[in-house]
Amino acid sequence: MTLLEVQALDAFYGDFQALFGVTLRVEAGETVALIGANGAGKTTFLKCLVGLIGSRRGEIRFAGEPIAAAPAERISRLGLSLVPEGRLLFPSLTVEENLMMGGLSRRPGAWSLARVYELFPVLGERRRQWPDQLSGGQQHMVAIGRALMSNPKLLLCDEISLGLAPLVVDQIYESLGHIRAEGASIVLVEQDVKRAAGAADRVYCLLKGRVTLHGQARGLGLEQLSRAYFGT
Amino acid sequence: MIWVETIINGVLYGGLYGLLGVGLALAVGVMRVVNLSHGEFIVLSAFLGVSLVRVVPWLHPLALLLPVAVIAFCLGFGLQAVLINRVVTRPDPFAGILLTFGVAVVMRNLMVEIYGADPRHLQAGHLAQASAGFGGLHVGVLPLLILALSVALFTALQLVLTRTRFGRIVRATADHRDVVRLMGVNPGRVYNLVMGLSLALASVAGMLLAIRASFTPYSGVERLLVAFEVVVLGGLGTFWGAMLGGITLGVAELVGLRLDPNAGPLYAHLLFLVGVLLRPNGLFRART
Repeated sequence: MTLLEVQALDAFYGDFQALFGVTLRVEAGETVALIGANGAGKTTFLKCLVGLIGSRRGEIRFAGEPIAAAPAERISRLGLSLVPEGRLLFPSLTVEENLMMGGLSRRPGAWSLARVYELFPVLGERRRQWPDQLSGGQQHMVAIGRALMSNPKLLLCDEISLGLAPLVVDQIYESLGHIRAEGASIVLVEQDVKRAAGAADRVYCLLKGRVTLHGQARGLGLEQLSRAYFGT
Repeated sequence: MIWVETIINGVLYGGLYGLLGVGLALAVGVMRVVNLSHGEFIVLSAFLGVSLVRVVPWLHPLALLLPVAVIAFCLGFGLQAVLINRVVTRPDPFAGILLTFGVAVVMRNLMVEIYGADPRHLQAGHLAQASAGFGGLHVGVLPLLILALSVALFTALQLVLTRTRFGRIVRATADHRDVVRLMGVNPGRVYNLVMGLSLALASVAGMLLAIRASFTPYSGVERLLVAFEVVVLGGLGTFWGAMLGGITLGVAELVGLRLDPNAGPLYAHLLFLVGVLLRPNGLFRART
C-alpha cells in the first residue's frame, strides 16, 4: 500500500524556486532515505509535506488524502510528523512538557510517555530538566520522542545525526529500528550517504531541487551515487 | 510611623500598578506585540464599570469586576482575531505598533463621543474610607483588598501558565510559533486567548484604579506609561518582576508625594529612569 505519494512538486520562496517537479513515494512500513548536498532542497521538501511552506504546487497524497493545500495544523492530525532540522525544542518547557506537546493530537497508537522513556531511558531520568541542560544527542532524542508522541504513520527525520558523536549516532539509528518495528514508515534526510543507505530500503537523491536518482538502497553503486549527488 | 504607613500604602498601591503592567508583559512575552492601545482598554473598562453601576446601582462596584473582565476578555479576543493577527507574523515589529496606535486613537475619540470628556470616578462607598489598625498603624481596607486581589491574580496566572495544558501551549507558541503547528495547534487561536487574558487583567486594574483616582477618555496614555514602566522595570516578559516593578513604583510615588505634595507621579518616573540606567534588563530578571 502506498502511504505517501508526491507528484511533480514545485516549491517557492518568493520568486526563488527551490523544488522542480519532485516525484516520490513511500510504501507503508518502508524506510526511505533522501540524500543530497547542502541546499539541494531536502529540508524544503519535508517542510512542503508537513505544510510549513505555503507556496507549493503539485500533488501530495498522504494515506489517500490530498494534502498539498492543507494547513500544517490539519496535516499533523493525519499522522505525519516531523523531527525538524536543529531539533527546535521548546526552551521554556521541560523535557516532559516538550514530549507532551507532541501528544496533543491524541492519535491512538503504540507510543506514550512511558514508551518514549523506555526507548530513551535517559529522558526519563531528566524529564524535569530544561532542554538546554541536555547534551546534543539527548536533545535529538527529545525531538524524536516529541514527534513519536503523535503516533505518526510516517515519521520525517531531518538530519538527526548532524553534529553528534558517532557513538550517539549509532544509538539514534538503533532507535529507528524500534520505531519501524512499531509500524511507522520513515523518511530519513541525511548528508551521510553511507549511513542513510544502510538504514533505508530505498534511496532518493536530490540535486538543486530535482530528483537525480532513485532506487533500491542495496543495489546502488558508489559511482552512480556520487554522480547523482554532485551532478558531475 | 507616618513613613512606615506611607511605604505600606505604597506597596498596597503598587500591586495595582503591577496589575496594570502584567497584561502588557503577557502580550509582549507571548506574541512580541507591544499593544499601544493597552491604556485605552484600561480606561474603557473603567467606563464600562461606570455604565454598569448605573444599570445595577444596588451592586457594589467590586462585584462588577467579573462581568467587566469577561467583556474585556471578549474585546481582546476580537481585537486579536480581527486585526492584530493580520500583522503578527510580519518580521517588522512596527506593523503591530502602528496598528495598535491607530486602535488607541480611534478608541480615545469614541470614548469622548460616548462618555464626554468630564473626569469620572467609581464610587466604592464607605469601603473606600475604611481603615484597619495594626499596632498603631492605619492601613486602608480597600488598598489591602486590592493588593490581595493582585497577588491572587498573579498567582493564578502563574499557575495557569506553568501547570496547565493551556499554559504549556502558550509557552510553546511563544518559543516557536511554527513548530506548534506541527502538533496541531493554531497559533492565531492561542494569540486570541492570550490577548483576551491580557485585557481581562488590564480591566481589573482599570476598575480598581478608577476607585482610587478619577479618569477621562484621555487617561489611557498615562496608564500605558505606568504599564510600560512596570514591565521594563520588572524585566520584559517576567510576571513576578512586573509585580515587584509595580510595587517599586507605588512606593516611590507615595514617598514622593509625602515629600512634595505637588510632585504627582514625578518621583516614580525619576526612579524608573534611574532604574533603567542602572539595570537596563530590569531589576528582577529571572528564568521563565
